[in-house]
Amino acid sequence: MIAYIVRRLLATIPVMAIVGVFVFMLLHLAPGDPAAIIAGDNATTANIEAIRTRLGLDRPLHEQFLSWVWATLQGDLGISMFSNLPVTKLVLQRAEPTIALATTTLIVAVTIAITVGVLAAWKAGTIIDRAVMAFAVMGFSVPVFVVGYLLVYLFAMKLKWLPVQGYVPLEQGLWPCLRNLILPSIALGLAYVALIARITRASMLDVLAEDYIRTANAKGVTTGVMLTRHALKNAAVPIVTVIGIGVALLISGVVITESVFNIPGVGRLVVDAIARRDYPIIQGVMIIFSGVYVLVNLAVDLIYTFLDPRIRY
Amino acid sequence: MVKTTRRQILAAGAATTALTGIGIVARPARAQAAKQIRMVPHGDLRVLDPIWTTANMSAYHGAMIYDTLFGYDGDLQPRPQMVGKHGVSDDKKTYTFELRPGLKWHDGGAVTAKDCVASLRRWAVKDGAGQHMMQRVTDISANDEKTFKIVLKEPYGLIYEALAKTSTPLCYMMKEEIANTDPNTQITKHIGSGPFKFIEGEYRPGSRVVYERNADYVPRSEPASGIAGGKVVKLDRVIWDIMPDAQTAAAALMAGEIEFFEVPPVDIIGALEAAPGVKIEVLNKLGNVGYCRLNHLHAPFNNLKARQAAQLAVSQDDFLRAAIGNAKYYQACGSNFTCGSPMGVEDGSDVLKLPMAQRQARARELLKESGYDGKPITVLHATDIHVMNQAAQVIAQNLRQIGMNVQLASSDWGGVVTRRSNKNPPDQGGWNVFFTWGGGNATASPINLFAHAATGQNAWFGWPENALHEQLRNEWAAAPDLAARRAVAQRMNKNMFDYVHDIKTGQWVGPVAYRGDRMKGMLPVPEVIPWWNVERIG
Repeated sequence: MIAYIVRRLLATIPVMAIVGVFVFMLLHLAPGDPAAIIAGDNATTANIEAIRTRLGLDRPLHEQFLSWVWATLQGDLGISMFSNLPVTKLVLQRAEPTIALATTTLIVAVTIAITVGVLAAWKAGTIIDRAVMAFAVMGFSVPVFVVGYLLVYLFAMKLKWLPVQGYVPLEQGLWPCLRNLILPSIALGLAYVALIARITRASMLDVLAEDYIRTANAKGVTTGVMLTRHALKNAAVPIVTVIGIGVALLISGVVITESVFNIPGVGRLVVDAIARRDYPIIQGVMIIFSGVYVLVNLAVDLIYTFLDPRIRY
Repeated sequence: MVKTTRRQILAAGAATTALTGIGIVARPARAQAAKQIRMVPHGDLRVLDPIWTTANMSAYHGAMIYDTLFGYDGDLQPRPQMVGKHGVSDDKKTYTFELRPGLKWHDGGAVTAKDCVASLRRWAVKDGAGQHMMQRVTDISANDEKTFKIVLKEPYGLIYEALAKTSTPLCYMMKEEIANTDPNTQITKHIGSGPFKFIEGEYRPGSRVVYERNADYVPRSEPASGIAGGKVVKLDRVIWDIMPDAQTAAAALMAGEIEFFEVPPVDIIGALEAAPGVKIEVLNKLGNVGYCRLNHLHAPFNNLKARQAAQLAVSQDDFLRAAIGNAKYYQACGSNFTCGSPMGVEDGSDVLKLPMAQRQARARELLKESGYDGKPITVLHATDIHVMNQAAQVIAQNLRQIGMNVQLASSDWGGVVTRRSNKNPPDQGGWNVFFTWGGGNATASPINLFAHAATGQNAWFGWPENALHEQLRNEWAAAPDLAARRAVAQRMNKNMFDYVHDIKTGQWVGPVAYRGDRMKGMLPVPEVIPWWNVERIG
């Protein structure tokens, strides 16, 4: 097992290298010049040229690439061309809101989705099943920002139960922090709930048709025990796989949710950086995102072994 | 009687500490500043050096923490600000300035003449008006701790105007050691002498900027007006919340989570007007001026007749209706120097008053006479900014209506600002037309706005060249008074229409929205948002 984990961790290096090359080339080949954006609207051509030189953007592309790779290998993700602050510092400033939002969304979404998915499978063909599936279709179909605005209108503007926007750091209290995350988590989690609920239902339906379930029922096992201990555990592998895949969905959803609810997270950092071509931030965040994604997939693979002892690496 | 044992007290203390540690019991938040304003500006403060960039947000930041030698008042007249006594020699070639007493940097040091000399030199490298001034300057030097002078080759009428201007980059004063930074390198220390202090520890680029009152600031005794007069600070803290989503900012204002929203979109002004406590007001009366830049270097717009055809074809009304929408906030204008400003003359703009059908017919004739061969005309199209998005589409359609073969080159604004600096022909990465806008205040001065220059390859994007225009700009700069300047501006405006410097697409103002039940005292200033004079009332 340990050898497997080490192998997988080593495998993240080429993945991140490929992502790095891809992102670097994409950014530098796409139209857009940070020097022109920095200089502002009233700048002269000479001003822009001077800033470009100062930032080293006039150097040959391969030279820029090699110096970026060399710095990255030493753990230096560079300095923002605009704010002059280290990328690492900017990412760390933004990490807490994103982690808090992603965590609450995952907890809320997985709890709801597995519950309703199991319920739909157990009551397959009934009105409950149809209602769950209708909800799942809606969850997929309605964009995050529409759900976000509707939630703000209802719960913040009309009922005044929750704040419209913003993020309160955890150090200022758990409830103040959670209060600001409820609406964004629901908005972001809806599509995720839909995805996991559908997979849970499908996987549970397969398992519920197995002979050992019939045997368990014949032995007089209660419905709750039958559903959770016997069926859900055996149906869990595809569900965990989808949760892992869903992390990518979550990362892309975070970008929109953070904008709609004014949460100063990593998603907004990278979108702002793309708009103004702040190359070091974009490259740094992409490297970090790809690393996180690889690690999440590794975690999913490891969880398989606990859920199904037949799986060995 | 219930006894409380030492063990119980310790247990309760430990439990409270633990709960506070994980945040279930809210820690007392940092003492709420009694007089605090939270505002949502139009953009993000990305660059903290207001000289290195001409970005408006950096100028806003500068207005908070730095001060200027002079400042425009509410009537756009230059008034002394950091300067106390000042004068000019009889031959009008030596200006002397004495700093008023009590000026201090935020680190406690006194502001000196040497600081101002270094700041002037750095600013003048980056600013259009500064460059124009420096062509006539032989010396800027300190006489003593508090006095410095500017010596000119020849009399020049715009010294005070250049130092007072509110268009970017403003002439902010910095400490000598900071101002000695290369103008093309961003400064790393942010120590001003202005009415607010920048709280660097709370700065989160893209999210939050915090300023606190500078208790050592000595305001002038005159009432506040424009960026001149007494900058009396009545707030403890001003927080800029950077919100990328306008709907969210509007909802936050209505819910009372913020007090000020700088640029509410026109389509939600109605909802904001109806919200209790919210007030809508136009602070920047000169607003913005739209202009369509033509590339004078390449066909077809290197030909005067093709430019004149385009000028006739582009309809201000079409653009304003599509991009701004609410007639309460826009006006058609025949001035190159901002209608409503002292230089807002409209000489030569009669062509804009003809019926559209007549204009289009004449435009088709001119286009034919120009020898236009039907080659594609590249219009740069920024899709991520509402006004730009609408403008490019309207302009493209206007040009198509007179027979031009127009192609939109769509990208985000970042793509447009990159491509517009490309002097190659359109089929080699260049362009023919792009749209942008300038502040009405900046546009009002033939010198302050770099886009007004017609110096060919050295001019702003579009690179217009016209010797008469440059001669008139110099005459305007040397004119002794307002009336004389206005007379020159009339000739200049007519000439700009004749050779088609660029195509003005009309003028509009952007109202701000704020909680009138919580704050008062906003000053109507073009191009910066001043937070001095503002009071928290609820």
